[in-house]
Amino acid sequence: MEGLFLKKVLITDDAAFMRFSLKTMLERNGFEIVGEAENGAIAAEKYKILKPDIVTLDITMPVMDGLQALKQIKAIDKSAKVIMISAMGQEGIVREAIISGATGFIVKPFKEETILKVFEKL
Amino acid sequence: MPEDGVVREPMLEIYLFEATQLMEQLEEISIECEKNRKISTEAINEIFRIMHTIKSSSAMMMFNNIAVLAHSLEDLFYFIRESKAINIDFEKLFDLVLCGIDFIKGEVSKIENDCNADGLSEPLVLKSSNLLQDMIKANGVIIKDDCQEKKEDTKYYISSFEKLGSEIKQKYLARIFYEDGCEMENVRAYTVVHNLKEIASEMYHIPEDIIESDDSVEAIRRDGFLIGFSTSTSKEKVEEQLNEIVFLKELELKQVEEYPLELKVLKAKIEIDLEKSISEESVFEKIPDKLDINKEKVANVIKSGKQQSIISVNISKLDKLLDLVGEIVISEAMVTKNPDLEGLTLDNFNKASRQLRKLTNELQDVVMSIRMVPVSTTFHKMNRIVRDMSKKLNKEVELVIIGEETEVDKNIIDHISDPLMHLVRNSLDHGLEEKEERIASCKPSMGKITLEAKNAGGDVFIIVSDDGRGLDRGKIYEKAKLQGLVTKHEGELTDKEIFSCILLPGFSTNESVTEFSGRGVGMDVVKKNIDSIGGAISIDSLMGRGSIISIKIPLTLAIIDGLEVAVGTSKYTIPITSIRESFKPKENDVIADSEGNEMIMLRGQAYAIHRLHRIFNIDTEVTSSNNGIMVMVEDNTKVACLFVDSLIGEQQVVVKALPTYIKKAKGIAGCTILGDGNISLIIDVSGILDR
Amino acid sequence: MADILDETIETSEDTQKGKFLTFSVGREAYGIEIKFVTEIIGIQEITEVPELPDYVKGIINLRGKIIPVIDVRLRFRKEPKQYNDRTCIVVINIKETSVGLIVDNVAEVINIDDSNIVPPPQIKSGFHNRYVRGIGKVGNEVKLLLDCDKLLNDDEIESLNTII
Repeated sequence: MEGLFLKKVLITDDAAFMRFSLKTMLERNGFEIVGEAENGAIAAEKYKILKPDIVTLDITMPVMDGLQALKQIKAIDKSAKVIMISAMGQEGIVREAIISGATGFIVKPFKEETILKVFEKL
Repeated sequence: MPEDGVVREPMLEIYLFEATQLMEQLEEISIECEKNRKISTEAINEIFRIMHTIKSSSAMMMFNNIAVLAHSLEDLFYFIRESKAINIDFEKLFDLVLCGIDFIKGEVSKIENDCNADGLSEPLVLKSSNLLQDMIKANGVIIKDDCQEKKEDTKYYISSFEKLGSEIKQKYLARIFYEDGCEMENVRAYTVVHNLKEIASEMYHIPEDIIESDDSVEAIRRDGFLIGFSTSTSKEKVEEQLNEIVFLKELELKQVEEYPLELKVLKAKIEIDLEKSISEESVFEKIPDKLDINKEKVANVIKSGKQQSIISVNISKLDKLLDLVGEIVISEAMVTKNPDLEGLTLDNFNKASRQLRKLTNELQDVVMSIRMVPVSTTFHKMNRIVRDMSKKLNKEVELVIIGEETEVDKNIIDHISDPLMHLVRNSLDHGLEEKEERIASCKPSMGKITLEAKNAGGDVFIIVSDDGRGLDRGKIYEKAKLQGLVTKHEGELTDKEIFSCILLPGFSTNESVTEFSGRGVGMDVVKKNIDSIGGAISIDSLMGRGSIISIKIPLTLAIIDGLEVAVGTSKYTIPITSIRESFKPKENDVIADSEGNEMIMLRGQAYAIHRLHRIFNIDTEVTSSNNGIMVMVEDNTKVACLFVDSLIGEQQVVVKALPTYIKKAKGIAGCTILGDGNISLIIDVSGILDR
Repeated sequence: MADILDETIETSEDTQKGKFLTFSVGREAYGIEIKFVTEIIGIQEITEVPELPDYVKGIINLRGKIIPVIDVRLRFRKEPKQYNDRTCIVVINIKETSVGLIVDNVAEVINIDDSNIVPPPQIKSGFHNRYVRGIGKVGNEVKLLLDCDKLLNDDEIESLNTII
């Protein structure tokens, strides 16, 4: 990534493994992970504080799921760039996420190239 | 976590760690639900989430057999979650779940040992889908996907119009191809439609149904997503917007006069407001989620709170830290107790070194506490065993756990897991009677096994007790005599001594080898395990009432309180926990039997004498009993006296293992470096007394 | 003593080939490949450990690390000799195991080309022949080059380990 400043990313997923995988892939490609959240509520809170450029949200999470978190974050910042991380079979929720303003989505399991293709365009 | 220094890729490390944790959580929930014959909403959600996570992570790591199994179980619990009130065969369901857990644990174990995770999950997957089918049949509800609730006919629709303005509109035709492997092309197509509606006044597309139909995914992959729309936006802007499509492989965009035939056909269909239909769908789906969230909130906020204050650290780093702190303790002693300083008056120096001592002690305490883990995880593992065995043996058993917060060094925890398992198995298999027998003896039909952990001084006690039939003193004595393991008469031996015979190798009163506890293989191995961590076992029992097995283990292996003694020019350390007392003997009190075995009388009792200088072949001038000191020591069964030249003093020492090139002699547990740089060998009391 | 060693140890593995540390035990001169030698120290206090073979004298404290020491004289079944201030301990490290060898004195580090090394004679006289992997010619002198692996070879270590 060119430019003086690396794009800042907030990663949300209840699974430590998923957070770690995504973090590793993104950091390798010039993104800065400014924070991690284990559920949607924490993600919304951290969004307010960290003001990242991009947020990733897993869909299935305890306390507050990805869809609710998306709506909260969009309420905080209309122009927030949010990528949903979904699994097969969650088409309905992803569609609703699109309507609620999600910028895009990735389907698990994903490879590094896949992630990059999405993030490049943000 | 790699204990032997094997360094694994961090991603694999985290995967294994998380998978293990999740399996443990799942096992606990499952056993709880099965026991109570009830699954709460929280439990369902949690089980679903665990399966979902394992599915995703395993797929990422390419462990497909695990992923597929997790997926099928996830489907099962998805059904249970979405169905409002259904009948569940708890036994069947959780048997399956526990089998799944075992499979996954097994694969994880293979991976941890650098083997291939080559287990076949197909049988379990089949079982799972069969169970799901059965549930569906029994409960009459079939849910295809999460859009089930939508009742509207959404097959033919046209997106809503922004405005019917009078600007000059141009018809466009676009065909979009997506990158291979991006998945959910129908939803991606939906995204395009959703984004275009802001600028388009009409839109028709093929495939038509990108909401309900899964076939559309194939169609889009094959022929691309064809979309015809009309807009007043400039071609450049349209192209720009479309080129921003994520995973766009190929875009064909052209201005057209008329839509092609296949799209024109769609124009004639009913118009339905896309937005309205979707928001209705979302209302449908939202309600159950909302309820779930509220119910879950309390339980899970607590959980995530806990998670946030914990980080996982590589065990090898902790080991290194502990080693270094040990070295610092030794170095500190070498400085402050340096022979160069002997006889000098150094008030300021002494003050400073006392402060240093205080800090090193504190540092040591903190580092030790890092390695301390509660026994709860190990104790809870026993739940599964009790559950499985009680089912197989058809005995009703309750496992009571007391003091699970008690902490023990991580190294030690690893060594008590197997012995505990064996003791619990024994209690269940041989200790607890069948239901009828219990009722006949006026005992509650449900047998009780208690696991208790508590601190006492520098040791931790772990006690396994049951209210079963107890040990038969006579029978044990007979068997021991038969095996040649005892020579004394039964009357001469205390209960404890007779009961401890079952710890001897080759002993067993079991007439038949059961599936769970073999013949004479168990208890002596348990003793060996406990011995290897410097612990001790003692057994007590009351016929007809039950048995109690107490295991005493040191808090930590690394540092012990020792008594320094001198034998000749050598120095030895005797662990304080093994010492009863020390005294100066009188020549007359020492007596010898016909074989030359020496004994000393103290307060009416006779104790065997072990002369260290003879045992270790050390030259010393102190040979007559008058000139030396007796140190009375004990292990779990014997008490005797060690004869040494003199006592030097009490000292806390860092235990260092003898170099592997030298395996320890019987009676030596390890060594330590003293303040003056000399090495002191640490006495293994059991080893000496066994000679 | 330390200087000689420092110089040679700084060089890389490859260039250490053919370099031997020579020492004497009795009338024989021996050589060990320098790559196994980690340090040379003067004789120091040895703590005896019971129930070990006679040639394993015990353990020493080397800056906080516990290292077993072997008396090479006894290992080669020679008459034991009193330790004096020339007696040295050559610390070698093989397969992650560190052991100290007590020798009469240490001579120097010399280069011996492969061409100057001949295989040991087949006659089995002398207990130490098992451990000699070659005979090196240095000028008029002959150095018995030890096979470090065999000196503490696995069989030996196994048998030591089983003494309980």
